[in-house]
Amino acid sequence: MELLPFFEWLEASALGAAAKAYGGVFAVVQMFHLLALALLGGTVILGDLRLLGVVMTDVPSETVIRNTQKWFNAALALIAASGVFMSGAVAVKLYYNEMFWAKMTGLSLGILFVYGVRRPLLLRFEHASINPWALRLLALTSLTIWLSVAACGRWIGFS
Amino acid sequence: MLNELLLSLAHWLDAMPWSTALHESLYLYAWVETTHVLTLMVFLGMLFIIDLRMLGLMFTEVPASTVAKRLDVPMLIGFAVMVTTGLILYFAIPVRTTQSLWFRIKVVLLIAAGINALLFRARMKAADGSWDRDPKPPKRLRIGAGLSLALWAGVVITGRTIAYDWFDCHKQLPYFLYWAAGCVDEMAAFE
Repeated sequence: MELLPFFEWLEASALGAAAKAYGGVFAVVQMFHLLALALLGGTVILGDLRLLGVVMTDVPSETVIRNTQKWFNAALALIAASGVFMSGAVAVKLYYNEMFWAKMTGLSLGILFVYGVRRPLLLRFEHASINPWALRLLALTSLTIWLSVAACGRWIGFS
Repeated sequence: MLNELLLSLAHWLDAMPWSTALHESLYLYAWVETTHVLTLMVFLGMLFIIDLRMLGLMFTEVPASTVAKRLDVPMLIGFAVMVTTGLILYFAIPVRTTQSLWFRIKVVLLIAAGINALLFRARMKAADGSWDRDPKPPKRLRIGAGLSLALWAGVVITGRTIAYDWFDCHKQLPYFLYWAAGCVDEMAAFE
């Protein structure tokens, strides 16, 4: 499937024009992207460190997962919306950027993992009934995916 | 006077071979900066969660002091990493950073956020856990938490804008901005 026309269309669209119009607007949206990164990363790291038995060990891990998921959703919505806006300004450049594709691959994997595996498993079952090694593996997978996505995001600008 | 002092300190750092090597390195500078940005998820992430608890928006069934105490260590580890990598980043580009309007605002906001954090801790101790189990802490603490969120968001925002050259000394700027950014030479040459 040839995706270049889509990126050319995106950059020429009203969104692309709006994102390009003023450097200041782009910068402000990028700030929200960064703040959402902190919240998204914070909820992921707290949940995973709890599953690994590192922090908040006196609070049930079910409680930690339940409390972090809502804010994870909000952060993901904000980070995705600001990300789409920013990509409008430099769409064609992104198409040729390897780090962008690495990030999109990681992001797709992350979304599938969160909503397809991590959440159904952790919300539907009592955590004590799950093999402790399965929980640890789940936490490590989650940390690896999201840290990679974030690092690739920063490296879009370097590559 | 202070501006001249800071600038000569920056020039002294800038003359060190390590500063140049780091700035011109192929990967090291980028990785230090990546670490600085990614650690936002640890430091600011934990801070956001604590503040959201203090605002009554998260972990309402867990005592506020438990959330604050348990997340304190990961938050401080994150803060230590951010300060360390931040100092290394400053060391790599000392002159421009010293004369950056955004960097200066960032330092002021950092100090304000630090004072707010100390006041918050004192207020929390003085309340002595009387509201610890309340889903929503008293108003005074909620204000402190809101202020904390705003100040730290400001630190992140001004940190990001250091990269933009809108108000760099070499630009044509009003005297006030030269003064705020500490552009010593430009101030002297101003007509």
